[in-house]
Amino acid sequence: MKTPRISPETLRVLESFLERPTGWHYGYELSRETKLKSGTLYPILMRLEKHKLLEARWVATQDGVPPRHTYRLTPDGLELARTQLKEARSRWMVQQPALSRG
Amino acid sequence: MPLRHAAALLIEYAIRIAPPESRKWGQAMRGELSFVDGQWAALGWAFGGARVMAKHALIAFFLPGRGRHLITPYVDLFERRVPNRKAVLVTAVGFVLAAFVFLAAPPFRQALRVSLEGWKGMSGLAEFRAVAKQAEARRDTEGMAFVAVRLRDDEESARLAEEAVQLDPTLTWVYAVEAANHRWLPNIREWLPKLERWDAHNTVFQLIAAASVDRSFHPVMLMDPKTRMEWVAAGRIPLAREFASSKFDDYLDRLRDLDRRVVQRYGFNDPYLVIWWEDSLPDSAGDVLSYARSVLEWGETLEAHGDHVGAAENYWKVARFGQVIDSQGHTDFEEEMGSDLQARAYKQLERLSKEGGNANDAALFGYLAGKFTKSAEPLWNGEGERAFGDYVIQRNAFVLQLSSFMMVVFSGLIVVSALFLIIGRSRRGREDPPRQQPVATMVALTSGAGVLLSAATIYLTYRPYWYIFQRAMMNGDRSHAQDLSAFLFWVGEWSRNAAFQCRRVWSFFITDSPSLHAFISLEVICIGIICVLIIFLRQFRGRPSAGKLQNHTQAP
Repeated sequence: MKTPRISPETLRVLESFLERPTGWHYGYELSRETKLKSGTLYPILMRLEKHKLLEARWVATQDGVPPRHTYRLTPDGLELARTQLKEARSRWMVQQPALSRG
Repeated sequence: MPLRHAAALLIEYAIRIAPPESRKWGQAMRGELSFVDGQWAALGWAFGGARVMAKHALIAFFLPGRGRHLITPYVDLFERRVPNRKAVLVTAVGFVLAAFVFLAAPPFRQALRVSLEGWKGMSGLAEFRAVAKQAEARRDTEGMAFVAVRLRDDEESARLAEEAVQLDPTLTWVYAVEAANHRWLPNIREWLPKLERWDAHNTVFQLIAAASVDRSFHPVMLMDPKTRMEWVAAGRIPLAREFASSKFDDYLDRLRDLDRRVVQRYGFNDPYLVIWWEDSLPDSAGDVLSYARSVLEWGETLEAHGDHVGAAENYWKVARFGQVIDSQGHTDFEEEMGSDLQARAYKQLERLSKEGGNANDAALFGYLAGKFTKSAEPLWNGEGERAFGDYVIQRNAFVLQLSSFMMVVFSGLIVVSALFLIIGRSRRGREDPPRQQPVATMVALTSGAGVLLSAATIYLTYRPYWYIFQRAMMNGDRSHAQDLSAFLFWVGEWSRNAAFQCRRVWSFFITDSPSLHAFISLEVICIGIICVLIIFLRQFRGRPSAGKLQNHTQAP
């Protein structure tokens, strides 16, 4: 399966999802956790959903307040997130000594 | 709260401009807005959301159908878009068919003809030759006369006129129109005695063609003032005879009646070849004005030599002749010219009376001069009896030419997009699911709408002029023929101007030494062309095929 481009920002989002892998996440909550602005976060969510790595649903709120969109990773999304984060961490572990050697 | 409210408004507006498939994401961002801490943070959140929606709106605008790929599963894409695409194509075909319906309307067909002649430049030679051939075969003298007065070819024109008059002597007046149209024809020498016998008291053909007693051809209008004065002084211009005449007939009414009959007989449907030619026929006005000026100048010369009686006699001749033209002229121009001649003559008489100490006569002549000056004003202002002003006529002519040009452009785009769609379909094969060609589909739709809009504009713009032509040809009512004539002039003028501007732009960029702004303009044009090419290439070559996409969506 073709996977979305994994940018550092996407990794941050995936990492945030993995903190509660089966739980539903709100957009603003993800924004606060990843420190990403809405203009960066939502295109990432759109891409993940396009590739069926993310599922979304609407949640009703109190009267007069628009419903909220919540998200969680699909099984494919979880697998991808774990793989990518693992790879990223191993890359980081390799790069760190090189960087520290100056 | 106002900032949060503004943020909500901003994101809601952004949702409205976003393509339908992106709106749920806009609503998702809108839903979160209520939970964002702080007004400024809410505004920042809304700006971010608006930026995303605007990006999707732009993508959907420039690459229709592309936006859906960003956020919609591929299976849904095909299931939902094929019926839409078919509906769009059916709508485009409907627009084109509706445009074709206009062809059934005579005003539309005539408008297309007028527009085309404006672009290609009107000659009418082929049409006139065809009518002449038919007329000669039928021995239709009126048909021959109709063509004779319109042909530029001196020899052929004279031959047809001779033949028509030989078969029908009541058409002898055609010689006078021929003489006005072809001033250097040697046949005029033979025609003049015939004209004089046929219409002894009419002065018009003498004014047109023969300015001298010895019948050598020196049209008065073409003379320089000095020669004219010399001829007047030498008595070579028979002033007394022409200006004493009580009849002035340029045979325009006969020509128009003949035109009407011939147009109906031969089914002529081209105002350029009828109205425009009638108006562009040389009339005797220029000769009359030059002649009158000679008489007035001769009067002044006599006055300078102390011959006040002789001078007054000349001024009176002009005033009387102006009255004859004013009352017998067939066109507004002739009537206005008659007023002008009277105004000029009465001004001279007023001055002469003042110098002679006759205050009462001077007051009367002053009053008459003022009265006729006012009547002659349209002659010098270029105005006549018109339903529309010059601006409206110019605008209508411009709209007609622009609409016809756009109709050609849109038709070309329809052909190109249809070719893309047909080629794309034949390359896929029938068993494959249809591949999307959103640009070609949208181009077909917008071009179809453009063709229909152009056709409607052409029809509505030209319809009043068609009625004017019909009234003139069917009922002989030429009350607004000047509007049509001016409209035809401007249709040709805009086309010539467009061709001139194209040549100018070409020479500006290519042959002249280009300046900085020329380079910038050229660069912008090149970038625009490259962008359009990239869009097309991406649409038609750079996208995965339907089969591949389906396989992709079926993968685990």
